[in-house]
Amino acid sequence: MNEIRQNNIIQNIKKYVPIILLFISVLNEFDFNHLGLIYFSFNFSYILIFYYSLKKSESLGYIYIFLAGLFNDVVLGTPIGISSLMYLILCGAGAYLRNITLRPSLIKDSIFFLITILIINSLLFMYLNFIFNYELNYFNQIINITYTFLLYFLFANLIDFFEKFFSGNRYAG
Amino acid sequence: MEPSRDDFVIALRSAFLKKGTQQRFSLLSLIFFSIILLILGSFNFKVIDYVKITIKEVVYRSSFIVSVPENFLKNNFLIVNSHLKLYEENKKNASELNRLKVKDLSQKIMILENIKYKKLIDEYFIGDKETVAKVLIDKQSPFLRSIIINKGSKNNVELGMVVLDEGYLVGKIVEVNFFTSRVLLISDINSKIPVSLQPGDIQAIMSGKEKQEGVLQYIRFKNLPEINEEIQVITSGAGGFFKTGIPIGVIAIDDEILANNKKDKIVNFHRDFSQLKYVKVVSFSKEKKILDLSSKNNALKLENEIKDTSQQQETLRILLEQKKIADEIRIKIQKENDSLRIDRIRLKKESNFFKNENVRLKNEVLVDKITNNKNLVQDEEIKFLKMNLYYGHKCRKNFLNNGYKVNTVKYRKCVLNKGIKRINE
Repeated sequence: MNEIRQNNIIQNIKKYVPIILLFISVLNEFDFNHLGLIYFSFNFSYILIFYYSLKKSESLGYIYIFLAGLFNDVVLGTPIGISSLMYLILCGAGAYLRNITLRPSLIKDSIFFLITILIINSLLFMYLNFIFNYELNYFNQIINITYTFLLYFLFANLIDFFEKFFSGNRYAG
Repeated sequence: MEPSRDDFVIALRSAFLKKGTQQRFSLLSLIFFSIILLILGSFNFKVIDYVKITIKEVVYRSSFIVSVPENFLKNNFLIVNSHLKLYEENKKNASELNRLKVKDLSQKIMILENIKYKKLIDEYFIGDKETVAKVLIDKQSPFLRSIIINKGSKNNVELGMVVLDEGYLVGKIVEVNFFTSRVLLISDINSKIPVSLQPGDIQAIMSGKEKQEGVLQYIRFKNLPEINEEIQVITSGAGGFFKTGIPIGVIAIDDEILANNKKDKIVNFHRDFSQLKYVKVVSFSKEKKILDLSSKNNALKLENEIKDTSQQQETLRILLEQKKIADEIRIKIQKENDSLRIDRIRLKKESNFFKNENVRLKNEVLVDKITNNKNLVQDEEIKFLKMNLYYGHKCRKNFLNNGYKVNTVKYRKCVLNKGIKRINE
């Protein structure tokens, strides 16, 4: 009985790991998105949200993603709601890809991810630049998109590995 | 074509409208909700403002808690780093301290005089509210270079208050919540500060550029003064937002700037904004010029202070002059003393020589005297012997005359008197 209860607790913790990761990445001062390096930055939250909405949609609830977006806006000082919108569009794209995919392939996923983050960042750029008069560096955005796309392969494999290793999830990846 | 379009619509509908397992809201409803939030937020809708404030309070605190491990590591790294640099820093600080000590007194006078003149032109600001706050979040976002501090409207923090770090300008308050506030750093692109460049008193507007840099805009004169040292950038006080003379940074002068080829004049900030831990939130207000008793007393006190300090400086100057003269005299006396000592030694040597000579001469004289005496005795003896030959028989005692015994004093006298008769005579 004790063993079953203990297993349940571990399972629950495992279940909430993606949410905890998402909130830490949003709330922590150390942000991969703004490392302060000229030629290196990537958006970890985008990778995490896209991966989980594509592979394990039940792990990250939409409401948590929405809240994470709000928190991100508050921390970054962007207009409230914009990050939530971007995160949710990313979720939508992930869910759409999940629905139309019969045979999953990392290459196809990543290409779709690239297209999605290009659209999202264009929307973000337009919204912040034209409506709120934020001055964004176009070059930095391109660097960010490129590294987010490239690192998707690494993180997708890493998350697959951990999912398999800790959860024993046969369907991961 | 038709089935493919249907598939697309079905997949899209399923993605955006269908609530999945564990999902309480559909994606589309949340997207609409965030769009509504955005629109209402841009119109400053009051309810949204309250929601924002609540979220901010929660987020700032939780962000602070989440960042604790990272900050712990960062702080430890900084501590270790500063320990490693301690010796070099100490040496540097010691030399700097000596240099600054020299400047201190004249600077004090200048500050006091400055206050006095500013009061004269009604430009003197005094800090009326001051709060020390801890930096909760320093996200270094590229959209908004700002920090969150742990003081809000509860601690009388107001919009537009100036934020300083050890006297250097950091930014100003742009958002006030109940427990927290957001500080727009001067490195933000939207921050426009009226500045003055010293020396030269050139007026300009400074905008943020990079983490540690600002850029001068609307500079009054294109050519910067041709000096070899750095140009100091301070707040000009124009517009009344900031007090005059808060240090911001420096412009390093290079050939490119002097030749006016460089398009942007870059200001290097004094403070590293990524290392802020505690900041001071202050507001300045113009000192009231009502000359009541206390202000009169203050003015008098200030005047006295300036006088005292000037007097101190004058006394110090005189003392230094006196010391200089005393030193010169001392050196002169020392030189004379040295020459006298040399003379004395020389004279002593000479005196010794003469003393020796004197002794030698005395000895010679004594020897001469003794020789003379000897000669005299010998002469007398010879004279006696000679006369003895002539008159000895007259004085000698025999049967015929009644003379003296030989070798007696009387006999000698008799011989020298040329016989007995003479004695009798």
